[in-house]
Amino acid sequence: MLKLKNISKSYGKGTIKAVDDVSLDIRPGEIFGFLGPNGAGKTTTIKMVVGLLKPDTGTISVNNIDVWEEPLKAKSIISYVPDNPEVYDRLKGIEYLNFIGDMYGIPKEQRQRKLEHYLELFNIKDAVGDLIASYSHGMKQKLVLTSALLNDPKLFILDEPMVGLDPKSSFNLKEIMRNMCNEGKTVFFSTHVLEVAEKLCDRIAIINNGKIIALGTMEELRSHAVERKSLENIFLELTE
Amino acid sequence: MDKIISLIKTDFNTTYGLSSIAYSFKSKKNRWQIIVFGLAMLSLIPTYFMIVKGLGSMYDVYSQIGQRSMFLLSGFLASQILIFVFGLLYVMSKYYFSNDMGHLVPLPIKPSYIIGSKFVTLMISEYLTSLPIILPFIIIYGLKGKEGVLYWIYSILLIGFLPVIPLVLASVLIMIFMKYTNIGARKDLIRTISALIFIVGMIYFQLKMQTIARKALLEGEDFLINLISDSNLLVKKLGLIFPPSQWATLSLANYLNFGGFSNLLFFVLIGVISFIIMIILSESLFFDGLIGNIEVSASKGKGKKIDNKDLSRETRPYWALAKKEIIMIFKTPVYLLNAVGGVIMIPIILVMSSVASGDQSLKAALEMMDPNSGLLLLAGAGFIVAIGMINSIGTTTFSREGKSLWIQRTLPIKVSDQIIGRVLSSMLIQTLGTVAFLASIAFVVRLNVFDMVLMAFLGLLGSIPMTQLGMVIDILRPMLEWDNPQKAMKQNLNVLIGMGVGTLFLGAIGFLTIKAINKIDLYLIYILLIGVFVLSTIILFNILEKLIKKQFEILE
Repeated sequence: MLKLKNISKSYGKGTIKAVDDVSLDIRPGEIFGFLGPNGAGKTTTIKMVVGLLKPDTGTISVNNIDVWEEPLKAKSIISYVPDNPEVYDRLKGIEYLNFIGDMYGIPKEQRQRKLEHYLELFNIKDAVGDLIASYSHGMKQKLVLTSALLNDPKLFILDEPMVGLDPKSSFNLKEIMRNMCNEGKTVFFSTHVLEVAEKLCDRIAIINNGKIIALGTMEELRSHAVERKSLENIFLELTE
Repeated sequence: MDKIISLIKTDFNTTYGLSSIAYSFKSKKNRWQIIVFGLAMLSLIPTYFMIVKGLGSMYDVYSQIGQRSMFLLSGFLASQILIFVFGLLYVMSKYYFSNDMGHLVPLPIKPSYIIGSKFVTLMISEYLTSLPIILPFIIIYGLKGKEGVLYWIYSILLIGFLPVIPLVLASVLIMIFMKYTNIGARKDLIRTISALIFIVGMIYFQLKMQTIARKALLEGEDFLINLISDSNLLVKKLGLIFPPSQWATLSLANYLNFGGFSNLLFFVLIGVISFIIMIILSESLFFDGLIGNIEVSASKGKGKKIDNKDLSRETRPYWALAKKEIIMIFKTPVYLLNAVGGVIMIPIILVMSSVASGDQSLKAALEMMDPNSGLLLLAGAGFIVAIGMINSIGTTTFSREGKSLWIQRTLPIKVSDQIIGRVLSSMLIQTLGTVAFLASIAFVVRLNVFDMVLMAFLGLLGSIPMTQLGMVIDILRPMLEWDNPQKAMKQNLNVLIGMGVGTLFLGAIGFLTIKAINKIDLYLIYILLIGVFVLSTIILFNILEKLIKKQFEILE
């Protein structure tokens, strides 16, 4: 579904390698967790997949569509939720949602169905008539999540999605991710919450200093670590 | 004291981005941009010198009638009134709409400290706007009159204190204004509308004052005798428009005697006292106007309830984009004031100035033009095209996205939709401006309906390439890192560059049109203009398509 082939990205005249020859092959129906310490290259990698940063080398394809060769085609099946939901705060929530809907060209019926479902689920139905400027961080996050789910994406990419969400919404989001996988869609997300990764992910990759240092199912990761306990132990051991 | 100095330093750094300039100069691409911008600024120097040369002859005229000091007054009035008018806008955005307030208010510092430090940064901005105006006046007066050392010392002091009084006035007015308009959910709208009315009112008041002063001057039989006996007569009468300018002028004009010294002292003292009064007032005024802004009344779902129709409103992508642009412009006071306010107010002020001052010159000039020559129609169309750049919508269209640009870049939006949507939003506002313009000139001169329609059509058509030119500039160097929408529009060099490029574009077309008039048939000129506008629209569309695609990929 999502294939990263030898992608690298460096900043500052190539002196700092943010992402160094990363390859990943993520299958349909998989929830893939992307872990790593601060500044390891998680967000950079994600930005290259969604079209916000051009890789120096390597290719990225979604459903066999090269995201940098045919960006429109690729973007129409991807949805992205950034770590910091900076959205047009002078719009009302509903205006923003409709704007996103228009950009994906989502037909009326689907739009209404999806909106009713997710607004109810995230408990922001009463707020979408208000200016986004008046929202809390968590509410903005929920608005962006709703907008990202409108187009029924084949690949759902989230950067630190649990930050700022209340327990119920965070539970709901996990449910959504599960359901999407059951429908054969792919979820790719970065997180610092190791318990979430441990419980939710089919496979996990750990990135450090721009390189993938571990990749596999929880079982596989455990079998390689000295202290075969929790993901926290493995993570600490690997990123020392 | 440490707190104040630290506040000033930080505010200065964030406003002028010293750290980020130093940082960006390290990158090769940015360095080139700065150099290119520097060259663009240099190219404006010849025009500036032409104006300065004109000032030289203005000095000679006043000198001949023995009223040299009037020349200085013109300089002080022009710069101080400009400082005041800009001050109103600067103060509004700097005191009330900058995002750092959210960090500053919770800190244990007095409101007067915040205002004091912001005031100092504003002073610096005001020097940048006022120095190019006041310096030529002072230098010409000093050199041509062979003034002594004391004149130059006085000048330095006066220039140093020049922005204080107008800026204090602007600050106090805005603080009172914000305190008493801090009401209800629609306060942005209330404020914007009252601000527009306020500015128009101020200008009207100024013009009226000028006329009254001028009339008072000419009345009475002894005018000519007085003119000869008192070399500061004009200053004493016309200076009443803004007394501080009068004090500054009188101190320079009489720097050799006590009168000059006392005026200087007066100017400086009043400046200092007014600053202190403002600081004291800020303790009781400032937070009252500000706090409500930060709260933005946390969403409690009190907004309009949405129904099924809202949930399933489907629009074409370019139209949705235009709609989003328009909503953002209308709901952000700084954008509304600059983009829409400017477009609507410029023609109104133009006409008002002629009506209020009882000045028939504009009317006379317009009537002198032979209606059949088409000159009036073409000039009007040219004016509308110029507004297409002055509205700054094209030159800030990507900058205004700011940190939200990721939305546009990760969505599957066709580049052509990007262009059409953004041009469309500019054209909607242009249409408003055109209506205001047509309504305004209808007051002054009679035009038939056909000419009006043709003028509007040509003007709007020409506004399309103008907006596109602005977009080309903005996509090449979008200003995305801002915390205050003010920066995206008022402190965006793209606006200035756009005006330069726009002047060249419009100037070239205007020049050719004037050359062609009376030589070829008027209707052929119209058709040729339509051709030029359509052709440049198509060419610019193609350029934009490539640029946007490329830039959306490489922006970081």
